[in-house]
Amino acid sequence: MRITRRQMLKTSLALVPTFSMLPAVFRRAVAASLLESGSNVSSAVDRTLIVVQMAGGNDGLNTVIPYADGRYYDYRPKIAIPQEQVIPLNREVGLNPALAKFKALWDEGILAIVEGVGYPNQSYSHFESMNIWQTADPEKKQKEGWLGRYFDSLESTQETAFRGMAVGRILPPELSSPHAPIPIVESVALYQLQGDPSYQPGTQARTEALLKLYNSSPREAPYAVLLENTLEAAYKSSQALQQADKSYKAAVEYPDTPLGRGLRLLAEAVTSNLGVKVGHVTIGGFDTHADQQKDQPRLLQTLSEALYAFYQDLRGHGKDKDVLIMTWSEFGRRVKGNASDGTDHGSAEPLFVLGTPVKGGLYGQRPDLGYLYQDNLRFTTDFRSVYATVLSKWLNAPAVTILGGKQFEELPFLTPAQARQLPQRPAHSLALSFVNQRMKDSPKPRSP
Amino acid sequence: MGHLLRRAGFGANQKELDQFLSMGLPATIDYLIEYEAVDDSALEAKLSSLNLNPDRLADLQRWWLLRMLYTKRPLQEKMVLFWHGLLTSAFSKVGQGPHMYNQNQLFRSNALSRYDVLLKAVSRDPAMLIWLDSRSNIKAAPNENFARELMELFTTGIGHYTETDVRESARSFTGWGLRQNAFSFNPAQHDTGAKTFLGKTGNFDGDDIIDIIMQQPATAEFISRKLFSFFAYDHPEPAIISSLARTFRESNYSIKAVVRQILSSPAFYSPKAYRAKIKSPAELVAGTVRTLGLETDGIILRGVTDRMGQTLFNPFDVSGWAGGATWINSTTLIERFNFMNRMATARGRALELNLRSMLIPQLIFAPADALEYFVALLLDGNMPSQEKDILLAFLKGLDSLPLPAGTRSPTEDEKSRSLLYLVLASPDYQLA
Repeated sequence: MRITRRQMLKTSLALVPTFSMLPAVFRRAVAASLLESGSNVSSAVDRTLIVVQMAGGNDGLNTVIPYADGRYYDYRPKIAIPQEQVIPLNREVGLNPALAKFKALWDEGILAIVEGVGYPNQSYSHFESMNIWQTADPEKKQKEGWLGRYFDSLESTQETAFRGMAVGRILPPELSSPHAPIPIVESVALYQLQGDPSYQPGTQARTEALLKLYNSSPREAPYAVLLENTLEAAYKSSQALQQADKSYKAAVEYPDTPLGRGLRLLAEAVTSNLGVKVGHVTIGGFDTHADQQKDQPRLLQTLSEALYAFYQDLRGHGKDKDVLIMTWSEFGRRVKGNASDGTDHGSAEPLFVLGTPVKGGLYGQRPDLGYLYQDNLRFTTDFRSVYATVLSKWLNAPAVTILGGKQFEELPFLTPAQARQLPQRPAHSLALSFVNQRMKDSPKPRSP
Repeated sequence: MGHLLRRAGFGANQKELDQFLSMGLPATIDYLIEYEAVDDSALEAKLSSLNLNPDRLADLQRWWLLRMLYTKRPLQEKMVLFWHGLLTSAFSKVGQGPHMYNQNQLFRSNALSRYDVLLKAVSRDPAMLIWLDSRSNIKAAPNENFARELMELFTTGIGHYTETDVRESARSFTGWGLRQNAFSFNPAQHDTGAKTFLGKTGNFDGDDIIDIIMQQPATAEFISRKLFSFFAYDHPEPAIISSLARTFRESNYSIKAVVRQILSSPAFYSPKAYRAKIKSPAELVAGTVRTLGLETDGIILRGVTDRMGQTLFNPFDVSGWAGGATWINSTTLIERFNFMNRMATARGRALELNLRSMLIPQLIFAPADALEYFVALLLDGNMPSQEKDILLAFLKGLDSLPLPAGTRSPTEDEKSRSLLYLVLASPDYQLA
């Protein structure tokens, strides 16, 4: 069955009872978008990518630790993690002891670590390097984010209100696209139109009047269509979130940290089937120039505990097979510790990919501590290889186009069934979720 | 008049508006442009009483927003916003310290100066030296960042120079760096060889480069287009730009001459310019507080423009803020409306909108008359009749609301504030 946009709107209206109180208000906007987009919609499979940004430049060497390499201890006499504290993954590397929850995911075979990730001519500026990761363009020509370009690649007929969702206040540049406004939500409570605190009973009528104003403003007025459509999207997405908030119950208790709350919000949107394709959340503070041992373990613990809870929550809701999680940070840090028991800006770093669709293990190549460049690690895997894998194998998107016409080697960190190209038609997607269900029931792939 | 005061400033409260209306348009334009004759000491006194630390981003933002709210030199402040968006630097890279404050003051003292004078000062400005890596522009390994943006973003625009010109320009700026947080020229790092730049050859330094760039026809057109688009509307007609560019060249690169011509031009007051732009968050926030005549020390406004997508002192990227449609997304729109709600329902001690003292001097007692007044003050009296009808119907409906048990009908004050909210949140008010 082909679903028309009108039917889809009906479906989404059913989700939002209060919306049906305003039947005529959006007639024009809906008519306009039908005109622009044609009437046929193909349903996409409900896959979500969650991006966790570790802002500030995470020290990769103290995260995934080459504990059997004496040079690691030579370079970092004061800030190396003692061998006996490292959580071994094999005889060469192990995790920071603060990542105990990641070890649990590793043991389940759903944590992949890509080592030595970076790009040519490393920038040591936070701003520039973030920008490079966000636009996926070390040449700094691109303005749009790589995930914004992914949104642009989607059919314009697909519902757009929740294509992406970011936790916070500002649009993360990797999700930026002029064509797809996405909700940026700090808390469900803030993401709604407020009323007069001294007269709340009037809020509904006031909001209705506001919607009518936007619907009736002269069409030829500058930006009238943009303003009207955006208000429609804002109103709908905020109502949908408020509604989701009423029925969502986390399957686990989240750690009471900003990251924990942010991931809980994303879980709420994902498990409520709002159609989120990309979710984004940031944890900051990794710029550990001084007293690193005081800060980094706490941050890593926050990261791993929040992500562990997020994963368990998704699993409790039966959504874990639909969600892939990846982390990134703008750079790793200098191999040698500095004079303040910290580390300065560096280069290559390990990143994490986790979730039920992941084939756990180590990927990429560990940078050689005997072959440094300006006291920094040499990268071995271009970060765009990770993006290319996620885009083409998970999101079923044209990776080469999105990555500026360049081809990057894809990494095998997804389980084979997940990595298969997805059919677009709804009938097939049913079959696929059946396959996924079987996969889930079959024994987990063994961690290497 | 309202249009002029919005575009060349941050709007005006009733008292200011009355004053400018009695002065008339030409005298108001003079007042705005010849701002150095205007005493702004009350603002400076207010600011210094707050003991702000300009090294801290939050204080710096508060300091600048307060200037926009209470200056008697609105065009000067508007030009600082223009320069901040064009000759961008950002706290995120420049870092904590006095540099961003100093750069902002540099823009203020050169707000309407000659463009070559401003650019020469900016090329020595510590924030810019950090932002575009002039610090690491040394003879052996020139860093092209500043040289490139000088032409691409500040003067000619792309397509008017070659990669060789960029390299030669970078060589000319070698040795311009920082010592003890101040500009310092290091002759040992300056490349004294001959450079060929935009067709001219000589032992150029950075100032020579700026002089050569100024002579390019593309520069006059580029800056004229930027200024006209900022004040009037996007995509101006070629005839307008060539006329402004001529003024720029003939006035020795005077920004003041170009701005005066824009603000006096028929195109600026044409229907094409009226409500042709989306208000930036700074314009929206400063304009609303200013027009409503609210008194604040700025603490309550912390983070407001950030959440609407404009973090002052941290522009989006090297090219500033794209503006226009990019200001509007679902989140920023909700933020805009909720900000309007806070202003319209400000009854607290930190921020108070006293509706009685606003309306009674106008002999306004009924909410329907208040609506007329709000439309006059905030929308130049121009709201499409079908929108006004919706608001009047809303007002009527308030009395016939089905009231849940335990609730009362709205008071006259609450009705008026709801109408004010709707005027502030209207599509018309989002436009400058």
